Parts: sequence; structure tokens; C-alpha cells
Amino acid sequence: MTAVENQPSTGGGEPAPAKGRRPLGRPMLYTAYGQDMALLNTGAKKVAVAVLLVVGLLLPFVLEDDLLRLLATGAVLAIGAIGLNLVTGYAGQVSLGHAFFLGIGAYTAAVVSGDPEDDQLYGLGITFLPVWLIAGGLAAAAVGFVVAPLASRLRGLYLAIVTLGLVFLGTHVWNEWDAVTGGIGVGRPAADPVLFGVDLSRRTEVFSADQQLYLLMTALLVVFALLGRNIARSAIGRSFAAVRDRDIAAEVTGVDVRKVKRRAFVISGFYAGCAGALLYSITGYLDPSSFGLLVSVQFVAMVLIGGVSTISGSIMGAFFIALLPRLTRELPEYLPFLSSSATETPNVFQVETLLYGLLIVAFLLLEPRGLFGLWVRIRNYWKAWPFSY
Amino acid sequence: MSSTRTRRRVAAAGLAGLAVFAAGCRGGGEDPADGGGGEGDIATDVGVTSDACPEAVNPDNGCIYLGTLSDLTVGPFAPAGPVIVAGQEAFWNRVNEDGGIGGYDINVTEYVRDNQYNPQVANQVYQEIKPDILALAQTLGSPPTAAIVEDLEAENIVAAPAGWTSLYLFQDAIVESGPTYCAEAMNGVDYAVETNNAESVMAVHYAGDYGGDAAAGASIAAEANGIDFANVETTAGTDNQASAVAAIVEQQPDVVVVSTGPADMATIVGQSVAAGYTGKFLGSSPTWNVALLQSPAAPALQASYQLLGPWAPFDSDTPGHEAMRAAAEESGSTPNEFFLAGWAWSYPLKAALEAAAENGDLTREGLYSAASGLSSVDYEGILPEGSGDYADGGDSAAVRVTQLSSPDPEASTGISVTEEDLAGSTAEGYEFTEPCYEAIDL
Amino acid sequence: MRDVLLTVVRGLGFGSVYALLAVSFVIIYKSSKVISFAQPALMLAGAVLVSYLAGPVGFYLAVPLAAIAIAMLGWGLERTTIRPMIGRPVFVVAIITLGLDIAIRVVVNVFIGPDVRNVGDPWGLSTVELLGLPVQERYIAMAVVLLVVGAGLFAFFRYSRYGLAMRASSLDQETALVQGVPVGSMTALAWAMAAGIAAVAGAFVGAGGGVDQSTWVIALKALPAIIIGGLDSIGGAVVGGLLVGLVESFFATYQGEYLPWLGQNFSLVSPYVLLLVVLLVRPYGLFGTREVERV
Repeated sequence: MTAVENQPSTGGGEPAPAKGRRPLGRPMLYTAYGQDMALLNTGAKKVAVAVLLVVGLLLPFVLEDDLLRLLATGAVLAIGAIGLNLVTGYAGQVSLGHAFFLGIGAYTAAVVSGDPEDDQLYGLGITFLPVWLIAGGLAAAAVGFVVAPLASRLRGLYLAIVTLGLVFLGTHVWNEWDAVTGGIGVGRPAADPVLFGVDLSRRTEVFSADQQLYLLMTALLVVFALLGRNIARSAIGRSFAAVRDRDIAAEVTGVDVRKVKRRAFVISGFYAGCAGALLYSITGYLDPSSFGLLVSVQFVAMVLIGGVSTISGSIMGAFFIALLPRLTRELPEYLPFLSSSATETPNVFQVETLLYGLLIVAFLLLEPRGLFGLWVRIRNYWKAWPFSY
Repeated sequence: MSSTRTRRRVAAAGLAGLAVFAAGCRGGGEDPADGGGGEGDIATDVGVTSDACPEAVNPDNGCIYLGTLSDLTVGPFAPAGPVIVAGQEAFWNRVNEDGGIGGYDINVTEYVRDNQYNPQVANQVYQEIKPDILALAQTLGSPPTAAIVEDLEAENIVAAPAGWTSLYLFQDAIVESGPTYCAEAMNGVDYAVETNNAESVMAVHYAGDYGGDAAAGASIAAEANGIDFANVETTAGTDNQASAVAAIVEQQPDVVVVSTGPADMATIVGQSVAAGYTGKFLGSSPTWNVALLQSPAAPALQASYQLLGPWAPFDSDTPGHEAMRAAAEESGSTPNEFFLAGWAWSYPLKAALEAAAENGDLTREGLYSAASGLSSVDYEGILPEGSGDYADGGDSAAVRVTQLSSPDPEASTGISVTEEDLAGSTAEGYEFTEPCYEAIDL
Repeated sequence: MRDVLLTVVRGLGFGSVYALLAVSFVIIYKSSKVISFAQPALMLAGAVLVSYLAGPVGFYLAVPLAAIAIAMLGWGLERTTIRPMIGRPVFVVAIITLGLDIAIRVVVNVFIGPDVRNVGDPWGLSTVELLGLPVQERYIAMAVVLLVVGAGLFAFFRYSRYGLAMRASSLDQETALVQGVPVGSMTALAWAMAAGIAAVAGAFVGAGGGVDQSTWVIALKALPAIIIGGLDSIGGAVVGGLLVGLVESFFATYQGEYLPWLGQNFSLVSPYVLLLVVLLVRPYGLFGTREVERV
């Protein structure tokens, strides 16, 4: 990180023709608004993104398959977390209903890609990934459009609990609608990630299934993250922030609050739908219990742990939550007094779950602004180095 | 703010991250398992080593690693999961004490993972242990198993399930034991018709692979016997049983087949009897728990509840039961029907390992073909002879014999056999071609 | 008619337990503006503690003892994890309580073990004849305990110095501080009270059926109750809890007959439908305080 941080003096002078010239050697000096609002507004960011992309591309050739799968899951969760951050972080509408949107996306995709021959389950047999991905996203976005009016009437915790109600109503629908979901305790196969005739969830001659899935999900994450960043820094994003910070003031200045809230829910729904569709195509199977309260809460935790109102924070938070169970599974090896037998107490499995809870608590206690806050602190420390105190 | 604190935190986070990644570096070459094998000419590949198991019973033997995916902490079967694991550990420990299989000890303790009864988690932990195991000694729950079954078949990994759903009959990689919930319910209804002249049956059940399976069986048997059938779906939670109780009291069926968890079953039985219901209850195998004898519903249970079990309860007298009880005592486990289940579910995998060792091929492929070639498994009397015929497809693998038990405060698990080897005509004549809950539209 | 009355009785019985749980949520909300997701774990911990204590000391003594013990736990939670978060966004605190819930439940599950634990209540499933109706005694006990706790809370908030201080700090923390009210201690007291009430509710959730590892889910039924009643109204929580109990009970008895197309077990989600209906008419619940909107 330090190496990246020291770059601005050399990398900052890149000319940005469309948005005016930046003076050489003055990375923090902006001579045009466009420069300040640019996607990568400092040289450091450009370098950091490039380095991250290269590392991301190299990882599948370094890491074991199970870890790649975990990272692929993390990338998909990050897409969902960006969606939640747009509605909750940027637009300030706290939603505990994310699991519901995730479910809509997952089941829409499963139906679109499902086997039309199956007499128990609906299926259209279109396994081409972009089709079911977008179908899942659009279905969830449509539901977001329908749900949005609730937000123009309710605030804060009231809205949170009502969106939580959506999760329970959704679970009821999933449990009952056997033709779509297979029913409770049975489930159905999820969408197949097929791209140009290649099923990416199966080993091919060149790559293992997990390498393919990792590359696919990472590529999609980059697309969705760029999109999210652009939404956030454009007029839409600023209207979100206006509504979040003081909705009446926003209305006075000409922001259509209802429209903005609706937009927020639709966009967030689209992200969640896509994430749901992708998430279960990794697992290959889904059942109605997969979309409960805990999933919603995990997404809220990702946003809070990553950092509210930041795209990069959402991504960090998602990877944190995705990797946390694996981390807690590794830890007990260093605590030899724990029994690894499931029948004795305390055993490693209990400690795993315990740590999962406690780590979330500890993290938020120590750094309420999340991973992004941590990053800001590190950055500020090195910015003033060696005179930081 | 203090920069030292920040630095320390960064260091800690970095170290923790490294711990994960260091453990997960791509090996490059083949898996560490050596192809040579421990004892002469047995071919091996993944999950079998010529080195002894950690804390081996027979230090001279090689080691076969079996994985376990169970519900250990937060899922709906978390109370049962650890007990099943204990039963299974006791079983394999006994196998090792008898000298192991083909010069190998069997280790089932190294790769135990918590699937939380969640398909996604199951898939993740399965991927984690897959490179180190030969087969799965346990995979608990239909949805979690469904999330890995395709991969099991693709990689030739045999798995013993923890459950009795009829779905397992039709999954090639799964070596199941005992009658399905579906067959159990058929035998129960046949029995009620024969002995009590029941003219109406109601299935009160959870939805899905367990309750739905039993309800489908009850429905098939009701049709075969030409009696009325009513279907009441309920959901977990003792405070959610009101509608089931209302339906029972309202319709007064002669017999009710209950397929829920123990606490919910006790609630349903207790409250229905309190509200004046006078018929009989037959519970699927997972409905019983010894603690129910101390519950307020105990008198009602003793008067009108009987358990349809896949095998005779804990205290029974077959050689298998006796060995199991001795092992339970040795490992300090309290008597529990799930301990017995964990034990009994392990027999097919043992038979498959023995067959594979005999063929000189303890590779995954060798074990897989040995398992699907088994025409019978020796359950030491726990299941009738001829059980465990996986060679000829789902229908021949189906066991059709059920043990009927009643609450008995004297027995160590609170239950003892009243009617042995129920085998009604419905189950005898029924051909299993697909999972019952899919075959029957309730 | 008889069916309807029995349905009402059952609804009010379980509704009383939901109401107790809702009250425990609301007390915490009023003191720290947070919905505590740790209540399910506290409730379960209370029930399990009662199940252990009931043997040696009897149910009637076990319940207050467990309530006190769990209250101490609630106090400890506030001091260690909630107090440092004063002034932080409420959702961060809510997620912290959720982490606590996961952690506490793991520990409690160890003490539950594989079996159903009986809380040793004296009522079981026995019924008593009341106006010609066979009413389960435990429902009466649930209603009575709600009355007792409710009356106690009313008296506490109305007549005691501490109650006054708690009301003051809930209205305006800074002003209360200026007036000499130890706001921090009042928040801790609120958490202790809420935890104690949740423990009592847990004991009565277990009455008649026992508790197992999945019993915690019941506490979530208080969530629609608190919103229906209005987040900051204790009276509203009681009304909301009873309403949820009634609606659920009626759907359980009659939905299968009259509205079968809603699917089996619709009663489980019926409180959320009621919630949506209520909020359409009154966005701050039946008794909630309307927020004053300023620019």
C-alpha cells in the first residue's frame, strides 16, 4: 500500500485532455470540476486500480480451487452489497429486504435457465448467462419499483422493519410456490452459468471450474462496480445524497423526492437481483430457506463493515464477510485446547460461530466507519509521514 | 488518533489474511496422496495415505480419510448433528480396533465440517475438504446434499447420508440405509387399518423431503386401502401448531401420521388430546426424543402415540445394537436414537470399502464402483438381511420393513418395540421410481 | 362461537408473550434508539436458565432469579458494547446487537443440548373450565404475567425517581444530563430491565411445550408488534403484541377453511400483513410519536 501511496508525485501529471490540464507535481490541485469528479481523480487511484486488476488476474493461477470459489462468492456478494449501499448508504433508505430481492433474482434466473422438460419445475431452457442475469436483475428491479412507495411514506426503523416484512412474506411465497422453487426442504437447481456454449461451472481443458467462475465473477464485479461508481458520482448519486441528508431541503431545491427514492430502490433491486442470480449459479442449488433475515442482515453488515456510501467499501465489506467464516475455521488450529470433536464442548464449531458474531461486534466497536475508515486513516498517516502523529 | 493502534490493527488484519491465503496456495502438482498404497498392491488416489492416521489405533496401517458434513451449530438439526457424528466416530473406531480395512485405518475426525444445513455453506466446506478425502462418511440434509451431489457424481465420491428421504434412493453417489419416511408411513397406515380398522388418516407434516415424503407415503397407503386421506402441512415452532391441532380436532381422523420435530410433535399430540381427540398418532422416526417423557404431553404420548422406526430402538438385542451400546459406553455417550442412527448409517460405506479393498482398488473410482455394485450389506441384524442392494437401482435398494415402538419410561431412550418387522402390503407392492414427494401431488 | 372464543383465548395467551417481548424491545428503543436484535438470545437464555433452576428452587422462584441474572447480562452487554457506541449511527449498533445475538445463542445452545428442555412450569397442558370454555391454564398465566409486568412498569415509570429519570433521558439526553440525571446509568438500567423482561417472556414461551435450540425465532414475532404499536410506546407494544397474537390465532384457525389460496401456514406471515395495513393508515404505528419535520 505504501508503494502505491507514494506514487502521486510521478503519476499525477497525466494529461486529461477532455477535462483540462492538470499541473505537474500537484496531485491535489484541481483546475476543473471535471477533474475533481473524475472516476479516478488521483494518480494513486489509477495505479492502485491497475495493480489490483493485475493481482486479480494472477490470483487464479496461485490459489487453490476452494479459495477461488470463496473469492468468486465474495465478488458476487460485493455486487449485492453495492446495490444495498446505493439505496441505504447513498440514498439513506435503510432496507432489510435485500434477501427478498436476491431471491427474486435467483428464482427468475433459475426459471429462465431451468430445464423445460422437467414436469415439476418451470423452466424456459435459456441457459445463456447474460439473458438470465439481466432477467433476474430486471425482475427484482420491477419489484423494487412496486415497493418504493413504502419508502416515501415511512422512515428509518419503520421502513427497516417493513422491508424486513418483505423478507418474511417472500419466504412464505418461496415455501409455497413449489413449481418455481421446488418447495421448502427440496429446492431446485440454480441457473447454469453458460457462456457461448461453455458451462463455466464445469471443468474445461484449460481451466478448473473455480478458476472460470472466479474470472467471470471478478469481471462482472468490475462492470457493476464501475456502473455503481458512475451512478454515485453523477446527478443521480447527488440527488440520492440530497434526499439522505435532508429530504425536505432536497424537495425545496427541486429534487423530486419520490422519484429519487423510487430510482434508488429500482437500481438497488437490479443489483440485488443480479447478485442473487449469480450467487446460486456458483453453488448450483438453492432452497427457499436461503433468503431469510440473516442474509439481509449480512448485507447490512457488509455495508457497515465496508463503509457507508463508498463503492470500494462495499467491496471490501463483502469480501470480509465472505472470508470471515473461512478465517474462523482456520483459527482454532492455533488454539489447541479446543476439541475438534463435535460432541465435546467447547468445540471448534461452536467457537467458529462464536467468533463470527464476536468479530463483527469487535470490528464495529473499534472502527465504526468500517474498512474504508481504516483505509482513510492509513492514508492520512502516510500522507503526512514522517510528520504524522 | 494514535497511529500505533492503527498500525497494530493493520498488522493483525494482514496476518489473519495471510493465514488464510498461505493455507490455500495452489499446489501445482498432484494431490499429496501417494499412489503406492500401504499394503502391497492396492491402488489408491485421493484421501488415502500410507502414513498412519493421526492418533492411529493401528500405527502400522495406512490411513483412509472420510469427510463429514453435518449440522453442528445453527441449523435446524444442530441438536442431532453432533450425536450422529459421535455414533459414526464410534462405528469407525470399532472398525479400526478390528484391524481396519485392507491395511488401512479409517479416520473420520480430521475433516468434520459444519454445513449449517445451508446449501451454500455445504458447498463451500465441501470444496474445502474435497482434495483430502476419499469419501463422505456423512452428509446431512437434502438441500445441502443436493448442492454437492452433482459434484459427488462427477468426482466419483461416495457419500453416506444422514436422513431417510426417498430421494436418496435415486442418487447414485449416495449409499442410504433403512426404510424411507415414505415406506415407513405406508407401513404405519397399513398397520392402523389392520389392527384398529382405521377408516380415515391424516398426515400432519413439515413440507419437503422429510414431512412431504411421509405424507406421500400415507396418501399412497390410504388410497391402496381405500380409506379417507387428509393433508395438513405445518411448520416448525411450537407456537405454530395451532392450525394443525384445530384440523385434527375438527376432522377427528382415526389415525394421524405426524412428521415434524419432537417438540412440535409433542405439542400437536398433547394439545389435540387435551382438546378431546381420541384417535391414534403414528410418528415418523425423527419425531421422538427421550426428554418428551418429562414434558407436559407425556401422558398423552404414552396413551396415543407410537413411533415408526427404521430399526429397533437403542436397547434392542441384535449383535449390531450390542456392539453399538458397548461403543457408546466406551466413548461416554448418553443413549440417544441418533447415536444409533449415526452408527447404522455407516454400514454401507464399510461394506463398500471392504469390497473395494478386496478388488485392490481404493481409488475414488474403485470405491464408487464397489459401492454401486453392492448387492447386500451386513447390518449385523440392525436391518433385515438383504438390505443395501444398490446394484439394481432405486426400487431394489428400498427397505420396506418398519419397527413400531411405544413410549416406555424404562427404556434408556424412552422407547421400546411393540411390533417387530411391520411390512404392509402397500409398501411391498409399491414400486419406487422417483422420490415419493414428487410422485404424489398432495 | 365456541371456536371463535377459544381462538381469542389462544390469541390473547400467546399475544401476551409477544407483548412482553415487544415491551422489552421498546424499552431499549426508548433509551438508545436502537432495535436490539439480541433479544431473541436473551429470551432463550432466560428460558434455559429457568429450566435449570426450576428443579432445585421451583418455577415460581426460578423465573425471578433467571430474570435478575439475565438482567445482569443485559447490563453487562450495555456497558461493554453499547455504551462505547453512543453517538454512532443506530444501524451500526443494531448490527452489533446482532453479532451479540449469534454469540450468546451459541453458548446457550450448549446448555440446551440435543433434547427439548422443560421449564418446569406448573401448568403443562391442563385446562380449566372458564365460562363453559376449556381454557388452557398456561394462557391465563401468560395473560396474568403480562398484567403484573405491565402494572409494575406503569408504576415504575409513573411514581419512582428512576422511572422519571429514564423518561427524562429518553425525551432529551442532553437536557436530562444538565438536570443531573445520570443518562448513562439510565441506559444501562433500560437494557437490564429489557433483558429481564425478555427472560420472563422466555420462561412463558417454554410453558407447556419446553424450549429447544430453535425457540429463539419466536422473539422475532415481536418486531411487527412494536411497529404496529409505535416504536416508542410501551402501551402500544402491549396492544401490538396482543393484536399480533390474535391475528395469528385467527389465521391459524380459519384461513385454511376460508382463504386456502393464501397457502399453508399463512398465519406465520399474517402479522406482517397487518403491519402493512396499519402503516398505510398510520405511518408511525397506532401509538407512535409523529416525528416533527424540520428543514
